[in-house]
Amino acid sequence: MPPAYPLRPMVNTALFVALISVGAFIAIPIGPVPIVLQNMFVLLAGLILGPAWGLACVGIYLLTGLAGLPVFAGGTSGIGKLFGPTGGYLLGYLPAVLVTGVLSRALGKRLGGDILAAVAGSMVVYAAGVPWLKIAFSLSWGKAVAAGMVPFLLGDAVKIAAAAVIAGKIRPLVKL
Amino acid sequence: MNIFTFHCGSTALHRLDVRYKTALVCMVSLALLKAGFAGCFVCFLALSWLVYATGISYIHLAAQLKWFILLLGIMFIARSLTVQGTPFFSFFGLVFTHEGLAQGALVVMRFFLVMITGLLFSATTRPADLKSAAQWYLKPIPFVPEKRVAIMISLFLRFLPLILTQAQQISDAVNARCGNLNKNPVRRIRYLVLPLLKKIFLAADSLCLAMDARCYSEDRTDPVFETGKNEMRFLGAGLFLCLVMICPFHIFVKMTFWS
Repeated sequence: MPPAYPLRPMVNTALFVALISVGAFIAIPIGPVPIVLQNMFVLLAGLILGPAWGLACVGIYLLTGLAGLPVFAGGTSGIGKLFGPTGGYLLGYLPAVLVTGVLSRALGKRLGGDILAAVAGSMVVYAAGVPWLKIAFSLSWGKAVAAGMVPFLLGDAVKIAAAAVIAGKIRPLVKL
Repeated sequence: MNIFTFHCGSTALHRLDVRYKTALVCMVSLALLKAGFAGCFVCFLALSWLVYATGISYIHLAAQLKWFILLLGIMFIARSLTVQGTPFFSFFGLVFTHEGLAQGALVVMRFFLVMITGLLFSATTRPADLKSAAQWYLKPIPFVPEKRVAIMISLFLRFLPLILTQAQQISDAVNARCGNLNKNPVRRIRYLVLPLLKKIFLAADSLCLAMDARCYSEDRTDPVFETGKNEMRFLGAGLFLCLVMICPFHIFVKMTFWS
């Protein structure tokens, strides 16, 4: 008997691609710098879809941006953006979603485990993005960390907390 | 209208083979990385003409982009303040430098032009055509299930307007209940995202059932592409534009008018 056609995971993956894209446009004004929900949805994709479909989700997101659809932060797109100074963060979403998915499964999909998985995922994004930024702008390590990581840590903590809570609430609704 | 939607039309850009359109977007995007002020200005003129030719209203476009324009303004100010150089003027102790203003203007122009290129692409490309192009481009790559990826891209494009509409409705409902006065950011995210996700996952479940009921599979007729004069014209014009953008402008003027 041939394996069942994976319609449900495909539809849910497409939905997360759309959420990541829209996340770049949903800004919550809590101060001078608004919180943009794009990377929260990347972490949620890892937590809810798991490593394999999460990876497919981020891959398709990058592909649509590469093709020219305005889905990257600020409504930008194209190969220039993907391989530009902030491209490291975008490409870092690939290993980040994988790490988040694997850790979430290994830690039993509980709130504490989800928070740890999301923290690890965020660290992977910075591990890819900050060195890329350093090389692109010829910055020192200190300046690269100060410009590409420190200002976003507080917002990330909020997003990680929200992603872990939302993942617990949404998981029962998502049938993979 | 939203920035992701396709706008019906029969202009040359609408009729252009989506494979060429994708390649042109990549070329312009790459050329913009290297373009200076003159190159960006030439690109701006070309894109403005294309926006006019495709029938997209400039006023509508500006209304859609107002928040991005604000973001670009913030980027310009941040860049003007952080780049070291000769002071130009100071404002409440903040020193704007010549170099900072020049770099800020260039970065903002590049961002704006990339944004307009993407908007033109999404406004003139049918979701079904984009799905076909993705399938065509991914076919030679081993271990990539190109038909499944193409279906997911097509589904993604259908979900975008749904999510934007639902997000607006939920945001209005939260504001009507004074949710916008809540200062706790985690709560604010939860009150917006949780109902949104519940609604759209239920919609996705209904879609799955509908597709399943119609025995949806990936064994469908492959897309057929035709390359004509329109494609060659656009490719030539695109290559010329990219060359002008990356060429130092004075060399280009010498080559064109004095040789």
